[in-house]
Amino acid sequence: MSRGKALSALGALLALVLVAWLWWGSDGADGATAADASSQRPVVSVPGSAASNSLGGETVGVPYSAAGLKARQEQLVLWRGRHERAEQILASYRDSTRYPYDSRPIAEHPDQVHPFAPIAEQVKLRNANGEVVKGINLRTTQERVFLSGAESVRFTITAVDDADRILPLIIRNASAQSIPDSRTPIRIIQTAVAFTDDGAGADDVPSDGRYAGRLAPATQGFQHYNGTIRLLAEVASDSQQGVAHFDVVYAPDAPATWAGVREALEAGSLNFYAKATVRQAGRYVVSGRVDDANGVPFALVQFNDEVAAGSREFRLQVFGALVVDKRPAFPLRLRDVEGFLLIPDKFPDRATMARQVGVVHTSAVYPLSRFSSAEWTSEERQRYLAEYGKDADTARRQVEDLGGK
Amino acid sequence: MRSVRLTLSRLRPARVAASLVAVLAFAAVGVYATNYSLWINGRSSTAQGGNHADFSYWGPASTAAGVNKKSVNWDGFSRVADQNYRIRDALDCYCTGTNWCYIAAHSAGNLQIGYALSLYGGTARNKKNATPNAAGQCGNTDGTTQTGWNIKWVDVAAGAGGGSELANVGSWAVSDPLTSDLKTATARALYDHNQTRSKWFYMYAGAKGTLYSAVLPGQDDEAVAYHSAGGVSGSGGAGFCNPSDWFCNDLTLGTAANEGGKAKWSYHTVAFRDDAESLNHYTNGNWGGVVSKVRADMAANAN
Repeated sequence: MSRGKALSALGALLALVLVAWLWWGSDGADGATAADASSQRPVVSVPGSAASNSLGGETVGVPYSAAGLKARQEQLVLWRGRHERAEQILASYRDSTRYPYDSRPIAEHPDQVHPFAPIAEQVKLRNANGEVVKGINLRTTQERVFLSGAESVRFTITAVDDADRILPLIIRNASAQSIPDSRTPIRIIQTAVAFTDDGAGADDVPSDGRYAGRLAPATQGFQHYNGTIRLLAEVASDSQQGVAHFDVVYAPDAPATWAGVREALEAGSLNFYAKATVRQAGRYVVSGRVDDANGVPFALVQFNDEVAAGSREFRLQVFGALVVDKRPAFPLRLRDVEGFLLIPDKFPDRATMARQVGVVHTSAVYPLSRFSSAEWTSEERQRYLAEYGKDADTARRQVEDLGGK
Repeated sequence: MRSVRLTLSRLRPARVAASLVAVLAFAAVGVYATNYSLWINGRSSTAQGGNHADFSYWGPASTAAGVNKKSVNWDGFSRVADQNYRIRDALDCYCTGTNWCYIAAHSAGNLQIGYALSLYGGTARNKKNATPNAAGQCGNTDGTTQTGWNIKWVDVAAGAGGGSELANVGSWAVSDPLTSDLKTATARALYDHNQTRSKWFYMYAGAKGTLYSAVLPGQDDEAVAYHSAGGVSGSGGAGFCNPSDWFCNDLTLGTAANEGGKAKWSYHTVAFRDDAESLNHYTNGNWGGVVSKVRADMAANAN
């Protein structure tokens, strides 16, 4: 058989298979069966129906049994649900991808507006047996979870009752210790951490009931350690004793250092370029917040890409359409910039760059007319819009074929 | 052939022609669009890493749980970062090229898919052939890449994306590396939970919790509290409950901010809240607990 004839025969065979599939396909969702290998079945076959042959709007007028009617109604409910979900997903995706993923409205990232705010938590005090001590809670803060190089981390502990009134507190002992993160034994490093409420050192207000301590791993024995450091503080309040736990993840070396910011208005968008001297090549994840001239948080700008060693720039883009849509007051202010080297498939998975706290760059003033209103385009976006659109269209046609509106 | 002839007689010629063209197009390029359902486990001591056919974490493999279901199987013990390659390998296998995926995750599996999407969701991925080797890795198709994966949506049962207070106090009688990631402060700092690349996370939250109710704030399923299972943003420790509890803020259904004003992470919506307080955290080897609700949704809608 010639190659052309073989292809023709194959095509005809596949066409017959497709037609048979269109005709006989059921809508069972049991992934364990080979029959489920197909995707997005265009036909709903209703078990128990004498006329389960709705196809492309074409129906045969054979009456349904009672069971068939019930099954058809169930199918209609199912497809209406799928249609509603598919339309919602399509509309949401289309709207959200008007801007690229690295230039987003800050409202979409509510817990990223103030990334350097201490992490505040409240837990019930537990005694040595692990039992909850009624009426005593520990309110804690820790400045950060991930840190590198010469960075330090501040912790606070306050005892409060169930009405949030501050209770007397004693920190009996506090120490930080390296924690193995695998089955491989490690050398234990341990150091004391002083907690005080005297307004000195880590503590900012004397005698307010809030005790504070600071851990600086590089100067407290962890300068060659890479991993989890756990701080345990033994506390006592109202003659009850318990423990407060904190974990931080430390990397001894900062992978890159900051070297200023420049800006450029390019292709209708404002780009901040955060300069850095990159010591360790790899994938860097950088985030910054952009406020308008009135200090109102406006955008979250991010960078996530491979970077070579040397003098480099991380582009943080304020997308043109985002400016056109939200109309922020200029100049814009880039603040609270953070970055880390992302290390795949191992722990710790990152080495952080030093935090840049506060405003690190103020833009020039640009008229709105210099920004592009064009929405983001990319292969990824087109791929998703096509697939989500197909899903919505398929579900809509199924609802129509089943007699729904 | 008789049935086929009857079928053909009912078809419109234009549709037959269009179908034939589509089939020939597929035959010419040798690719077929296939949908898959990927199940990402949580804490486990038995998961067989990279074995996509092993459903022992979940329940009988014969149970319907979405089209072409695959079990992602990371070790359920190590740090999220250590094992995230298992998730990325599976996403590369089944969710690239012409293939698309529905994702179901349980407990710490929530952290795994969230971490993958937030930190690696915009990276270049090789298009794979959906035929894994023993390590759970697939071969390339045509040597080209695409940005991110093809994911339709994500169902999350008893999500631990926000961590658990049990990990904070060490109530889980183990000290595996994963427990460190499940501390609430660590879990919430691990990645930007709002960055799902616009994929919707449908959150299913159970509330049959009594054993650790003194440790877990608000309603819980015996392992995670509503603040995590419901995708609530911000610090952990906040208590959220069912509407029947007058002394605690409600976890709201859908995307709306919760009672008291705390927002959910973007692209997170509470699809199920256990008002009957009848579902706990655990699969019990039979697709049990709140996983039963996700399984039902996957069986019905991952098609």
